[in-house]
Amino acid sequence: MESLKINALRRYLLEQDLMFLAGQPVVYHCHHFNLFLDQTIDDALGTQASFHLRMSAAREFSGHLLSAVCEHAEARTPPERLSLAAQLFKLMGHGSLDFDADSSGGTAHGSHLHYGFAWLEKYGKQVRRKHPADAFAAGFAAAALEIAYDLSPGSLAGVEHECVALRAPQCRIQVERDPAPESGGAVIGERESESVVGAPEDGLFEDVIHPIVLGLKEFTAGVHGDERGLVQAFGVFVTMHLCGYYNRISYDAVAHIEARAPQSVGVLEELLRESGHVCVFNTFGGILLSPEWEGLVGAPTNDPAKTLAWCIAIGRALGMGHWTIAEFEPERRLVVRTSSSYESVYYRTRHGLAPRPVEYLFQGAALAMAQLVHRVDWESNPQLTAEYYKRLFKGGVPWRAEQTKSLVRGDSVSEVVVTKVSV
Amino acid sequence: MAESTLAQAVEGVPSLRGLFVTAMPDCLLFDAWMRPNEAWSGEDVASYFGDLVRANREGLKALRAWSAEMQVTIESTELLLILRELSSDFVVGFIFEHATPLGMVRLHVKRVLLLLQDILPRIQPEERPRAIRIAEFLTRYAPDTHTAMQRAALRSGIALDLLRTPENLAPNQIELFERSVCDILGLESLNL
Repeated sequence: MESLKINALRRYLLEQDLMFLAGQPVVYHCHHFNLFLDQTIDDALGTQASFHLRMSAAREFSGHLLSAVCEHAEARTPPERLSLAAQLFKLMGHGSLDFDADSSGGTAHGSHLHYGFAWLEKYGKQVRRKHPADAFAAGFAAAALEIAYDLSPGSLAGVEHECVALRAPQCRIQVERDPAPESGGAVIGERESESVVGAPEDGLFEDVIHPIVLGLKEFTAGVHGDERGLVQAFGVFVTMHLCGYYNRISYDAVAHIEARAPQSVGVLEELLRESGHVCVFNTFGGILLSPEWEGLVGAPTNDPAKTLAWCIAIGRALGMGHWTIAEFEPERRLVVRTSSSYESVYYRTRHGLAPRPVEYLFQGAALAMAQLVHRVDWESNPQLTAEYYKRLFKGGVPWRAEQTKSLVRGDSVSEVVVTKVSV
Repeated sequence: MAESTLAQAVEGVPSLRGLFVTAMPDCLLFDAWMRPNEAWSGEDVASYFGDLVRANREGLKALRAWSAEMQVTIESTELLLILRELSSDFVVGFIFEHATPLGMVRLHVKRVLLLLQDILPRIQPEERPRAIRIAEFLTRYAPDTHTAMQRAALRSGIALDLLRTPENLAPNQIELFERSVCDILGLESLNL
């Protein structure tokens, strides 16, 4: 069995800028997004139920991915499949897993696991964490054993007993029979995505955006985890992540709150949007300030139209959808559209039409782009630190985002209108 | 206090960059003096100083070593910070240049405290509602401060609008709010 080449398994849906790995929807996201989203699920469900949901979502979608990758690599034996799983985990930037297990379960030893490691880096000096952080790795480990030993999907569960975010030297995940095995939901792959997306359309500044997207896709093709299994670039930790994981934990949490505490739905949705906001602000901002960007495109500038076009290009290349600029009046109004988003593909496939727009990442991203375009002095080479973020948003966000069209409501595109307000 | 009063008290103290008077137990800024070129936010600084002295007091009590004369000294690469309690009403924070000799610092701190003792009024501590103090504590210490109240609302199940006027919370809601703040900050209880 040859060593895994992640790039050979990656492709984009033509003109839709949705990314797939071995046919499974994936996207690049940074640790700011990953940690904030997981934290929001903790806040919504409580830490125990949140860990279970996150582990289950990771197990389900990692299982689909691992099954496809093993098939592609013709990995037949359990050791081959486990080795492939560990390689894949590392290449995607999630850290290192070392399995000591058989068909009944066992232990996965983790080092530099993305969530725990990044949490410690970002929050460790400020907050004492009381519960383990690596539900994604726990679900991935359970799926790896299920695939390795041809067990039913959802029959094993991973529980993290030691975690670096709790100051343990290493992470330790125990995988055992799930007392309440679950069956998966509808499959979401390329075919399902094609049936949800709208007709791709062009927007403003396509002549700037298009070549950058091509260059960035080529650049990210070579991006993979280092010897630790981490992708440390642009001032953030980057992961290639399973869209199904993000979507299931978000929409299941919303459904749970709608049923149990409907008064809290609004605040949960606000926090889900903030995940997108913090992601775009930090990752896109980090990319714009990186030497790689300067080499590929040029030095960041205070020209709002140029910065906006660059942000749109980054979003497309990372696999967030075919974002376009429908309207732009600097300092007043921005309209962003997309014919595709990983959120709408999941929601439509799993839940059908929604009564209200629920593309939280897209909403938060559009708002964050307005901030990057108008509120950052790029030519002063700013450091996009937590302090900078806090200072900028302490008094609120002087822009408002409203999703006016939505693929999940049956429109042919999704659209967010961002307008300036005084605070 | 009259604008010039603190300035008079610190007159002739070399190397002093700022002086902050925090009213206890609410950790609110009472008064401050800063060199013209310093750009600190008095409100932010004062509340942290109050918390610091309170934590120090509890720590010393746990060691059975507390005395009213306690002093917190912090040396950083940028500055030298001295915190002293002045009666139970005030905490005074002195910020000196980093290289100031400690002997000189002690001398000046003692002299200024004596002056302040006469200048500062006796105040009747009017303890504000616990829910307000919980909200202030959360926004002082939560990571990603701008989302802290939303997180507390989601965790506690209390409507965000209600949390924004914490003085209107019912006793059981205050309990839920406090629990959620403890969880967000990873603390067993709040030292308020």
